[in-house]
Amino acid sequence: MGAVGVEISSPPDVRGPTAPLPATTFAAGIASLALTLGATLVLLVLGGMSNAPLTSFCGSEGITERITGARSICGIAEALRSSTESAVLLAGVVLGLIAVGVGFAAYGRMDTKRRRNEMLAGAILGVQGVLLGAFLLWFGRSGTLMIFVKNFLDFPIISGSWGTLFTGMKNTVILAFGGELGGIVIGLVLALFTISKQRTLRAPARAYINFFRGTPLVWQLSFAYLGLATGLGLNLSAYTTALMVFSLNTGAYAAEVFRAGIQSIERGQLEAARGLGMSYLQSMRYAIIPQAVRRVIPPLMNEFVILIKDTSLVLVLGLTQQQWDLMTAGYQGYLNSYFASFFVVTAVGYLAISLPLIRLVNWIEKRLRSGLVGVTA
Amino acid sequence: MSATMPDTPRGGVTTPAGGNGREPLIRLEGIHKWFGNLHVLKGIDTQLLPGEVLVLIGPSGSGKSTLLRCTNLLEEPTLGHVWFEGRDLTDIRTNLNEVRTRIGIVFQAFNLFPHKTALQNITLALEKVLRVDAKEARDRAMEQLSRVGLAEKADSYPGQLSGGQQQRVAIARALAMKPKLMLFDEVTSALDPELVGEVLAVMRQLAEEGMTMMVVTHEMGFAREVGNRMLFMADGIVMEEGDPREMFRNPQHERTKKFLSQIL
Repeated sequence: MGAVGVEISSPPDVRGPTAPLPATTFAAGIASLALTLGATLVLLVLGGMSNAPLTSFCGSEGITERITGARSICGIAEALRSSTESAVLLAGVVLGLIAVGVGFAAYGRMDTKRRRNEMLAGAILGVQGVLLGAFLLWFGRSGTLMIFVKNFLDFPIISGSWGTLFTGMKNTVILAFGGELGGIVIGLVLALFTISKQRTLRAPARAYINFFRGTPLVWQLSFAYLGLATGLGLNLSAYTTALMVFSLNTGAYAAEVFRAGIQSIERGQLEAARGLGMSYLQSMRYAIIPQAVRRVIPPLMNEFVILIKDTSLVLVLGLTQQQWDLMTAGYQGYLNSYFASFFVVTAVGYLAISLPLIRLVNWIEKRLRSGLVGVTA
Repeated sequence: MSATMPDTPRGGVTTPAGGNGREPLIRLEGIHKWFGNLHVLKGIDTQLLPGEVLVLIGPSGSGKSTLLRCTNLLEEPTLGHVWFEGRDLTDIRTNLNEVRTRIGIVFQAFNLFPHKTALQNITLALEKVLRVDAKEARDRAMEQLSRVGLAEKADSYPGQLSGGQQQRVAIARALAMKPKLMLFDEVTSALDPELVGEVLAVMRQLAEEGMTMMVVTHEMGFAREVGNRMLFMADGIVMEEGDPREMFRNPQHERTKKFLSQIL
């Protein structure tokens, strides 16, 4: 192992071998969670799609064929309280308990890193499996089972509203991207004002930022639309007003992000640019801001993810149906049916927008940083 | 301004070797600088003739770097005047951006733009400040990179270069502007010892080609061999001034003796 002076192209695996006991404990932990979570999900989906006639239990809980998706609801509820599900959950809990007991008791005595990690991972997975299994065992027998399933897991009820929801998603994306783009432009200009030597530029910029950071976004939306657009008779739709307010509001937050980014660039960079005869604005544009922007991408994207969700506040403006954002579309669906399944779908919609975006940003960030050794240090 | 400060020692009216009564390229007159209440420069007068290499030495905090940075107004002197090519740079009507294209400065921390390649570091100001077209900017940049021996590193980013290479790019960047005067602010102090030589060699060659240079340094060998004139600064004033070889051999002032005995 590691002869002196011999070059080996990759470092050796120092985690060491495994052994039957830790490997089994690890497998038990995985199996525990797989049964309680994975198998339950499979059973629920199968139940929801079974289209079996309503059972007497469902009838006693007030489910009739008149309810849209009644058979789906009934299938899901029956799946949750079925003996198959109980057996699966029990098996999961037992396996989990074994993994917890063995894992926590023996991990400290393991003699390789791999063995110890497997013991610990098995025990932790076991805890998760036991908690989830115990909860589902209780929930399948509780009186609230049917109420919950009926309210949140009736997906056939949504079948007529997919179009509205997709339009809503599109509008949410437009409002968020539009607001962010406008906000970045406003924020960059404001940031330059806040670091100006001229108090006459600094003061109004600070006042603007303080105002937009210090009042609720929902107030800004209401005031801009009801107070200004409608009150003053401006020819601005609620949608356009909202887009402007999102830009103005994001601008205030982006300004602080850009300011911090610009101020984080070493003083020597500005001196080097000025020393070459560049004007202050040229120095900012060619030397400082390109570096600052790279540094602030993570916090800026954080603001963007927040904005995606904050666009839901247009709910208060009373948009026309074509202008509904995802939240309004979901909310209207709920108001028409009183089935909260609309909220579940809405949440999935928001995740479908923000999660890929977060991944995209991580990718952009990596690309921007490659080849720029030292910029991020 | 200097006339109102009669109690401060002054340096630079001596005629340097080979002076022949030519017009000075740059003249500092009664320079005072306060940082807050800290009085860091207490009345400095000096000047450089074309082709002269002036070396500033002194203990840390003596004000030598501040004086250098006052020369191109990166620091604004609180009092005093800087005359360059017959213009007063401290006059607020002077277009400093234009003047600074003719005064190159190189820093201790290199200060290359990390998001630009070595070549782009040089062409940026050529294109944006001097409005040189892209092709000529590239030619001029490559010429300077060759001069400092880094033509093959043109497309490297600063982060991929050693400290000595970065500093040579920084010198090339300043030289590409075709300056009349070069300011060097402790340009080897941040370098690993084995990289100091390559940077000093470039500066030595520059001096031999007749560049007017103002050099703040701790490299006493360089000061002795390349400097035409040397200022020893301490506590914001010029304690002693003269020919470097003469000053090293026979320092007059107690502070100079002490400093040189510590550093040599």
